[in-house]
Amino acid sequence: MFASIFAFEVRRLTKTLSTYIYFFILFAVAFLLALLAGGAFPGDQTVMFGEKVYANAPIVIDQLVGGISNFIGLIIIVAVIGNAVLKDFSGNTYTMIFTTPVSKFDYLFGRFSASLFVCLFILTAPALGMMLGYATPWVNPDKITTFSLIPYALTYVQTIVPNTIITGVIFFAVSLISRDIFVIWLSLVIFLVARGISNSIVGTLDNQTIAALLDPIGNLAKRTLSKYWTVDQSNHLYYRMRGLFLINRLIWLGLSGIIWCIGYYYFSFTSSPRKLLFRKQKLADSSKLTFVPSYINRDILPVVTRSFTTGANLKNLWGLSLNECIALWRNIYFRIIMLFGMVFLFIASTQVGKIYEVTVYPVTYKVVESLGGTFSLFMVIVIIMFSGELVWKSRDFRMSNILDSLPVPNWVFYASKMAGLIFMQLLLLAVIMICGIIVQLFKGYTHLEILLYVKYLLGFYLIDLVLLAVLSVFVQTLVNNKYLGYFIIILFYIWNLFFAQLVLKHKLLVFSSDPGIEYSDMNSFGQMVFPYYVFKIYWGAFCILLAVLSSLLWARGSEHNLKLRWAHARNKANRTSWIVATLALLIFVGAGGYIYYNTNVLNKFRTEFQQGELQAQYEKKFKKFEFTPQPKITDVQVSVDIFPSELSLHTAGIFVLKNKSHFAIDSVHVLLPSYMKINSLNFSRQSQLQLNDSDYAYRIYKLVQPLQPGDTITLSFNLDMVTKGFKENFTGLSRPLYNGTFVNNQDFLPAIGYDPNFELADNSQRKKHSLGYRPTANAITDTLQYQRNVFTHDADFITFDATLSTVPDQTAIAPGYLVKEWADNGRHYFHYKMDKPILNFYSFQSGRYNIKKDKWNNIELEIYYHKGHEYNLNRIFNGMKKALQYYTTQFSPYQYRQVRIVEFPRYGTFAQSFPNNIPFSEGIGFIADVDDSSKENVDYPFYVTAHEVAHQWFAHQVIGANVEGSNMLSESLAQYGAIMVMEKEYGEDRLRKFLRIEMDNYLRSRANEAEKEKTLERVDDGQQYILYQKGGIAMHALNKYMGEDSLNHALKRFIDLYAFQGPPYPTTLDLVASLRQSTPDSLQYFITDAFEKITIYDNKITEAHMDSTGGKYVVNVTVDSKKLSADSTGKETPVPSNDYIEIGIYNDRTTLAQVQRYKLKGGETKLSIPVSKRPYKVVVDPRLLLIDKKLDDNEMKLDGSGKTNEK
Amino acid sequence: MLQISNLSKTYPNGVQALKDVTLNISNGMFGLLGPNGAGKSTLMRTIATLQDADSGTIMFGDIDVSKQKQELRKVLGYLPQEFGVYPKVSAEEMLHYIARLKGISNDKERKELVKALLEQVNLYNHRNKSLGGYSGGMKQRFGIAQALIGNPKLIIVDEPTAGLDPAERLRFNNLLSEIGENIVVILSTHIVDDVSELCKDMAIIAGGKVVQRGNPEKLVQELENRIWSKRVGKDEVARYQAEYKLILAKLSGGAMTVFINSDNDPGNGFNPEKASLEDIYFSNIS
Repeated sequence: MFASIFAFEVRRLTKTLSTYIYFFILFAVAFLLALLAGGAFPGDQTVMFGEKVYANAPIVIDQLVGGISNFIGLIIIVAVIGNAVLKDFSGNTYTMIFTTPVSKFDYLFGRFSASLFVCLFILTAPALGMMLGYATPWVNPDKITTFSLIPYALTYVQTIVPNTIITGVIFFAVSLISRDIFVIWLSLVIFLVARGISNSIVGTLDNQTIAALLDPIGNLAKRTLSKYWTVDQSNHLYYRMRGLFLINRLIWLGLSGIIWCIGYYYFSFTSSPRKLLFRKQKLADSSKLTFVPSYINRDILPVVTRSFTTGANLKNLWGLSLNECIALWRNIYFRIIMLFGMVFLFIASTQVGKIYEVTVYPVTYKVVESLGGTFSLFMVIVIIMFSGELVWKSRDFRMSNILDSLPVPNWVFYASKMAGLIFMQLLLLAVIMICGIIVQLFKGYTHLEILLYVKYLLGFYLIDLVLLAVLSVFVQTLVNNKYLGYFIIILFYIWNLFFAQLVLKHKLLVFSSDPGIEYSDMNSFGQMVFPYYVFKIYWGAFCILLAVLSSLLWARGSEHNLKLRWAHARNKANRTSWIVATLALLIFVGAGGYIYYNTNVLNKFRTEFQQGELQAQYEKKFKKFEFTPQPKITDVQVSVDIFPSELSLHTAGIFVLKNKSHFAIDSVHVLLPSYMKINSLNFSRQSQLQLNDSDYAYRIYKLVQPLQPGDTITLSFNLDMVTKGFKENFTGLSRPLYNGTFVNNQDFLPAIGYDPNFELADNSQRKKHSLGYRPTANAITDTLQYQRNVFTHDADFITFDATLSTVPDQTAIAPGYLVKEWADNGRHYFHYKMDKPILNFYSFQSGRYNIKKDKWNNIELEIYYHKGHEYNLNRIFNGMKKALQYYTTQFSPYQYRQVRIVEFPRYGTFAQSFPNNIPFSEGIGFIADVDDSSKENVDYPFYVTAHEVAHQWFAHQVIGANVEGSNMLSESLAQYGAIMVMEKEYGEDRLRKFLRIEMDNYLRSRANEAEKEKTLERVDDGQQYILYQKGGIAMHALNKYMGEDSLNHALKRFIDLYAFQGPPYPTTLDLVASLRQSTPDSLQYFITDAFEKITIYDNKITEAHMDSTGGKYVVNVTVDSKKLSADSTGKETPVPSNDYIEIGIYNDRTTLAQVQRYKLKGGETKLSIPVSKRPYKVVVDPRLLLIDKKLDDNEMKLDGSGKTNEK
Repeated sequence: MLQISNLSKTYPNGVQALKDVTLNISNGMFGLLGPNGAGKSTLMRTIATLQDADSGTIMFGDIDVSKQKQELRKVLGYLPQEFGVYPKVSAEEMLHYIARLKGISNDKERKELVKALLEQVNLYNHRNKSLGGYSGGMKQRFGIAQALIGNPKLIIVDEPTAGLDPAERLRFNNLLSEIGENIVVILSTHIVDDVSELCKDMAIIAGGKVVQRGNPEKLVQELENRIWSKRVGKDEVARYQAEYKLILAKLSGGAMTVFINSDNDPGNGFNPEKASLEDIYFSNIS
């Protein structure tokens, strides 16, 4: 019996067209993704797993094939398996089947396994599509490794088959219990939400295990296996069914078995499902007849007035809309969805704005963005779902026969449905607002900005939702099948979200696009509002067009053939509609033209490829001048007038240029950003403009009389930076803003000589623009580059004098000391002068600031902050003081008399050290909510401050040469300073959390390395994970191994040698030499490992127990040490070792009672460690000195086993 | 006055549902009788603006139905053959909803009308109950109530009694008996008794064509003395079919009774039968 049910069902499904449509769609999506990942589209920069990971590496295949199956495939699973039994009810065939002698098991299991079988067949499509995609000649051969069937097969067996079974069972069981297709789709939403939840809590290290087990799809479990895979490992390793992945699969397969049984026992061969909810009894007339004739008498019906004017229609529309809203409000499913949404939001709210696993104060914009962001996918699904429901409602409930023949114009129907949808969107947004306020109050935050909620939610979010609703109603109107409609909308949505911009390049072609909106407490919505609305008017007009078409083509009557509907739409009676459509079209075209004028005419529009080409041309044209001797800037005197409301600035000034070379210089190369308007550029000597390339604003001035070595010349300039119209993307910093302008000299002031920094750096891109391979940095042996420092190629140390002006209510700040402040002509003036030489790198800021001052040992401390951001001022002051204290005593005196921290809008989230001036983003630190009662909370406002203050030494005192490794001299050493200041302030225990996060970060980031992982000594500018994370860990470890005094002494010596020196600048070779000088021979290996090699450990404790005799304890522990040396691709080879490794004993969970250092050979070593107090656990490398791939196995608890070993 | 001229309709699957149908229907209740699949519902839906014919026209007074759908809808009351209900919506709410859609925007007037209609169709006591809980007869009564909203000049009632039990059917036909005064009411049905009970004018439609047209009583009169019946064995039916103009063969008590149409007494054991509308119906569709 089972066999025949199975065979019949499979035959039926293989005869169904939709089976092949599903197959084809999956195939096509996979094919396109393969092309995308394989770099088939020129100019696209999609990098999924690090640039050096092959597009058909096992991990990528698993992610892509699995991803397609888990998202698009999930819909198919619901459609096929969820309908396996349900169709007997919708088609009323159940009456026949339930009365045959088929057993319940044969029937249900036959149906289930047949549909599962067909689903598994359909789900081979992604793998096949991907194989074909990678086999096409369009993919970049560099991105592809040799074909292997194994990763496809493994993904299919390990991921797709179990997931199809798990999700299939869930939705099958739901279908058995509810017998309602809507409930099945609802359960899909809930399923997605549950996955969202487990994804959102995975952010913290401690939750990873739980999240890995909770994820029914197993993705997070797989991630725990692969998160530290290097490029090489990603290219070669497969996921193996082990560890959390295996447990996850077993748990969920087991659970799905239980779910299947529940569904099975719940189901019975009856016509109506068991009562989930209370059901009402049917009403019936009595069968007795009364022989009193009762007939309808139309004559006595009350006389009513009817009216069909537009006014009456509008009035009707209001009533109908109300009706739709009430119906929605009464919809039990919608209520369930709302409830789930709220639960989802509350869970997500615990993760608001975490940095270093520390939350921020729930300021309104953070809450709105965070909740709105996590809720957006949810809202999109709900909107798509309900737009289908509303459009199809009258047909689904077979009311269309009556309603369609009523004298109501289509547009009234249409508009009432839209009103219902908008009402629903308002409710969803209200949920965000209510949850947001509850979260704020719950966290004790009472500064409620209701108006900001309203602006953000109604002014911005709602518009996108309405546009989406119009689009999906349009699709549902055109398509004759609700589910096909859903499918099309979802595919379009995915296309629009991820691919449209890549393929079509311009936002004018990306539905519902805008240049971006980002609220800042300082700058509010800034200049983003206007372009945003222009874009929305553009898309709004487009949607009105869609709306008119939807209402004209509204499926009415019993024939839904599109051709017929089109014929009706062209009926003369629809003239008004066509007029509206034409007007909308005109607005659409007009707004589009206006946008084009702004983005492409007033401003330069370049696709990524065009931008690359521009850079390539720059290199091709001017690279020959790289070593042409140029004078260097020695003195800067500049005035900068900032006009916040005009978003412009004017600047004029004089640079003194000196010929520091040994050659006479006959031409000076002046570079400016190409958007600058040049009013004048003059040299103090007679000169001729020999070349003027306006694409790059590259000018060559020929000096009539060459500049002899040692001679000086001045360059005076008068420039404007004007914001014209708007660009396709909001540009953020580096330009004047309404409040919180932050620009530096490289943004708008002239530079001298060819700047290699503008070259195209990415080597795979260089290839596309037919440029040769370029090393990521100059070789450390390139002594020619020692003449330049790594920050600025056109100057060494300069003198600096700046006069700033801004609007009266703003304060303008630049490096140096405020000499004079005055008002003139309605402007607010500030004159800053620096009395020490500085690097040719300086900032200008202007904003409405509150100022808080403090002092440390005669050094003035100031914070310029936005009113309301007072939360962490004391932490920041404390950071400045403790940092100054440590660095002045350990390294060298502070060269300035002031430290200023100046807040800027959150368009960038960093802090940056300029001479005595530290611009600090409002997005980091200012609103951090550090919990000092937690032993693990990282006080990152304090830490960031300490790091930036350290740059006043490492960068502004010592600056490296323009070669590889030099950024380490500033970043890693600043990181070291900050770690030490943190350790002094908060102790080793609290620092450990920070080090753990840093180590995790390093290990994860190296997997995404685009070029090659370099050693700390040769690190590249962009390799932040080496500069910050590895550098900090290595320097901290060195501090512990060789002792704080010796290390700091070595650094002090290094500073003494090179501080404020012009060329030749030092390199990391000089630093390492200085370190080696202070390092005992026994530890020289560590310098080699940390700086000159990539060294990773895999240490673990394999066995541990304790013995106690007479109140004395001995811990017997077996340590397994393994040292690995990695090459630049991440290929790791074990190397013999005999290294110092620390073993620590904890007395309780958190107290590290003693640490002892042992010299351990590779492999297992047994140790006996006497301890005075009863130990709790033993840990290898407890202070996180060594980079260890797996920290979980570094410790072992000592309770329990202790007793059995007592003698 | 409803004038249907030369109406033809072929569905995309090749079924020709209407073949050159021409009918003129004046005020009063008009019965459209035909077997399932004869094209009745296609004709009804076409008149009710829900679909279009391939060729031919329908004029209702001055209204050209296919071109002025909106105008026709203003004077139309339509009870479709089959309709569903929204869950959790009561009869009263639904009538309000439809009344609004029919252009009655004055709340007070609408309220009175809905109340009056509910009373007339004997649903007033159940007005707050969900329509989903209504029995077949109650649902059809609701259906006729909604069709009457807005004082329609043309009422189309498509197969209203299909699926009703005999009591419900009688009750429903009772309700309908007087609504045809001064307006055009088209009742489509496959139940012969509906037409004989309610209609003064009728047409029989079969295979998409109008095959008979006239006053039911007159049509019956024409057949008077021409219907003959005889009990025969089951295996003999085929032979009789070949020999006579067989209208109908009916089972009765295990044997068959055949009915034939013959101008003269066919002899051969045939007895005269009283003519009925049913005989007209069957002689037209067989």
